[in-house]
Amino acid sequence: MKKRNLILLWLTAVLILLAACQPTEQEDTINLPAESPAPGVEPPPGFADWDAVLQAAQGQTVNFYMWGGSDLINGWVTGYVADAVQERYGVTLNMVPVADGPEYVNKVLGEQQAGRDEDGSVDLVWVNGENYRTMRQAELLYGPFSEYLPNSIYVNWNDPSVANDFGLSVDGYEAPYGKAQFVMIYDSAKIENPPTTVDELLAWIQANPGLFTYPAPPDFTGSAFVRHICYHAVGGYENLLGEFDQALFDAQLPACWDVLNQIEPFLWREGQTYPESHTRHQELFANGEVYFDMAYNPAEASSLVENGRYPETTRTFVFDEGTIANTHYVAIPYNSPNKAAAMVVANFLLSPEAQLSKAQPENWGDLPVLDPALLGAEDQAAFNAIPRGVATLSTEELAANRLPELQAPWLTAIEQAWETAVLQP
Amino acid sequence: MTRIKQTLQPRTLILAAIVVGVLLPFVPLLLWSVSFRWLYPSVLPESLSLRAWQYVFSPRAEVLSALGYSTLVALLVTALSILIGLPAGRALGLYKFRGKTAVRFLILAPTIVPTLAAAMGIHVLFIRYGLVDNVLGVVLVHLIPVLPYVVLILSGVFANYNPDFEAQAQTLGASAWQRFRHVTLPTIFPALMVAGLFAFIISWSQYILTLLIGGGQVVTLPVLLFSFVSSGDNAITAALSLVFIAPALLFLLATARYLSGNQASLGGFGKL
Amino acid sequence: MPTRLRPYLLLAPTLAVILLLFGGGVLLALMQSVGYLPFLGRTEITLDAYRAILQQAAFSQSFFLTLWVALASTAVSTLLALVCALALRRPFRGHRLITFIFQLNIPIPHLVGAVGILFLFSQSGFLARLANLAGLISQPADFPAIVFDPWAIGIILEYVWKTTCFTGLILLATLQGVGNDLETAAQNLGANRWQRFRYVTLPLLTPSMVSASVLVFAFTFGAFEVPLVLGQRFPSMLPVLAYRSYVDIDLNARPEAMAMNVIITLLIGVLIFLSTCASRTKRCAVNGER
Repeated sequence: MKKRNLILLWLTAVLILLAACQPTEQEDTINLPAESPAPGVEPPPGFADWDAVLQAAQGQTVNFYMWGGSDLINGWVTGYVADAVQERYGVTLNMVPVADGPEYVNKVLGEQQAGRDEDGSVDLVWVNGENYRTMRQAELLYGPFSEYLPNSIYVNWNDPSVANDFGLSVDGYEAPYGKAQFVMIYDSAKIENPPTTVDELLAWIQANPGLFTYPAPPDFTGSAFVRHICYHAVGGYENLLGEFDQALFDAQLPACWDVLNQIEPFLWREGQTYPESHTRHQELFANGEVYFDMAYNPAEASSLVENGRYPETTRTFVFDEGTIANTHYVAIPYNSPNKAAAMVVANFLLSPEAQLSKAQPENWGDLPVLDPALLGAEDQAAFNAIPRGVATLSTEELAANRLPELQAPWLTAIEQAWETAVLQP
Repeated sequence: MTRIKQTLQPRTLILAAIVVGVLLPFVPLLLWSVSFRWLYPSVLPESLSLRAWQYVFSPRAEVLSALGYSTLVALLVTALSILIGLPAGRALGLYKFRGKTAVRFLILAPTIVPTLAAAMGIHVLFIRYGLVDNVLGVVLVHLIPVLPYVVLILSGVFANYNPDFEAQAQTLGASAWQRFRHVTLPTIFPALMVAGLFAFIISWSQYILTLLIGGGQVVTLPVLLFSFVSSGDNAITAALSLVFIAPALLFLLATARYLSGNQASLGGFGKL
Repeated sequence: MPTRLRPYLLLAPTLAVILLLFGGGVLLALMQSVGYLPFLGRTEITLDAYRAILQQAAFSQSFFLTLWVALASTAVSTLLALVCALALRRPFRGHRLITFIFQLNIPIPHLVGAVGILFLFSQSGFLARLANLAGLISQPADFPAIVFDPWAIGIILEYVWKTTCFTGLILLATLQGVGNDLETAAQNLGANRWQRFRYVTLPLLTPSMVSASVLVFAFTFGAFEVPLVLGQRFPSMLPVLAYRSYVDIDLNARPEAMAMNVIITLLIGVLIFLSTCASRTKRCAVNGER
């Protein structure tokens, strides 16, 4: 009797196993779509033309390393994107979820160190900022390729916020994927008229002790909030643009630490400690411990309402002086054995169709990276018709209040200095 | 009567504490997995929803594939470790030989020294020889923490084992396989089950070794679960956690009878 | 097959796996910590990594935190396990059910245990809400900080939750193995309950308790998942610190990660050697008294 039970158990296990490990059926013949590359651009290294890329891509599998903490984003990539590239190009897309960006940078570095220059394991990464800079400087990226992609004709490469990733020029080593903009989040049931300038917010904090905090840098979101305060304190981002300059940093930034230290006694837990991550800060907001949340994604609040994690009365706003925006990209490691398929995926992600799907709040709600002026009338109309989530601001309102990012070394310096100047003064 | 009551009282308290203590952490897991909008200070979810379970069982969540990877790895590790560890357990339990203390120490070393340290050390060689990003490499690295436990449990049963029965069977003309099947196996079966349980569970629970050697591509359940733990989506985290523990609980149900009431298998831990 | 060789042949596969994978791993960690990697063309030996981490305040803070967590978890769980094993020792109504519940968390992965503790003990968690219902606290901040706290209480709770059952089952198995004879004999000789426990049961259990504590101590000192879920970012437990250095964007941090691994390995080795030594001499002393 007991042995029969055991055998049953093992059989079940094996069945689960077989069900899960079924190889994806590969269609033999695919009518590859007729696509032509962006005019006047050299084909990417190793390929004669776009047709050669499409041919080589067929049957390849792309390991797409990306942050995997959002069911929405994961579902969009493994569902919509994977299905489309399989069907149209015969490319299998394998999403590899990572908890933290630097993991894959380190992985490619480790492969380079161990001499795996031909058959790396990472084919496509979701990247920007510091990680892009590191990979580019360590020559871990393949390219230039992105300006050659057929769908890159919809990208305005003259827009500095697209052509530069945190101040480092893209040069065809990254393909744009989407845009993000910082927003403040509040509960309209608790605050009717939120402060809409940095000054007003600072005043609100002092008038309402214990109800505000921000995630401790180097948390991505907390670090972005601190930059807003710094922009304000130094009299505008213009004073910090350009290459990192230690002398300028030492001269300007103390003003920012002063502001942050002034509000510290009025913060949650009197500023003795800060939430360690954006996630923990979200929890504080959801449970009503603090009255403001913040996100580097204008649609995040809406999807949190959808998911039942935030109250239905949640709303967002941007500062009158603007909030920081950036572009996120995909890039291909130098040792990917599936560069052709990775380019096909990058190209698909840039298509008006995919960008439109990505912008739907129920899919992801990410801001499109294409320039509306370069799109056809039909696509333009479709982009204009995207329904917004209950808490999401309109594209126009966001676009009208955009501030640029600083170069990555500034970010690192601010994050490090915050620890000594604000956290433990 | 009063005497009996007095002696029973503290034990009843302890037993109640055991039940509550063991089961309490599962309560919020169950509640979160079906919750929708569950904010402080509500003790129960404001409304119920199957959102998390729908996501977990939808094909786009790739939970099924993670379940497959976890099962494949854990079963391979269990089978391999018993295959390799059984002879070693027999040698350690049954024989006296020169260098036994040293060998014992060596085999037990991975239970003491963190396997993560060894795994980080060997990572660079695994990269070089193509043992990263695939199931084979993950299975190999799981053997490090699993094998000592298997050997330890099996050596415990062989310490009380009488090989004379095998000799008698041999004189009666039984083949090596017949001797194993009809003499050795029935005696060691309970310990084998416990060893299998431990091997399965240790492999099933590994996160960091799988992440390091699997390079993020062998997405087992803990790897998938972890990306949700850090994202703060409590409902999905809870549902995934429950999926994660279900097979291990099944395995326990099948082998529970061998865990207690049988000192030979677990007693091995007491004789380190 | 010559009988003298037999045990060695039986041991060969296991030893091969342990020596190659584990021994090789530790050796490679040692080599990388001193920057010696001949197959990557690096043959210079340097102690820079050790110097660097020993100068970091973060390292010593992490070390003391890790030591505290491992010691506290081991002590509390061993004590609780002893109590549980004694309570579960003899049959009673519902014995089977409660013993089964006691075994229940053996197969639960630590990661899930950590999630359970997080949902239970965070300042807006289940217990905080119950406390609010009972009128003990009004807002989440009133609930004591048990997870992400400087004393790592949340981590210790998870380890205690998991390892009490582990140690308890080992002790239970030992108790069932030795039976009641000695205690009955002591009772017949007029020993009271406390004396029977102190001079008969406890000495019988001591070797198992030492073994189990060593396993628990080593595990909690070197484990990774639970601190990652329940621990403060700074200072972090040593294994987390080592892993973070290993996956740092800067590859130069890798030798430092390896140096931490080597130090963790040595420390655990020394501590466990000392503790087993101490318990042995104590055992010897007890024997000598008799």
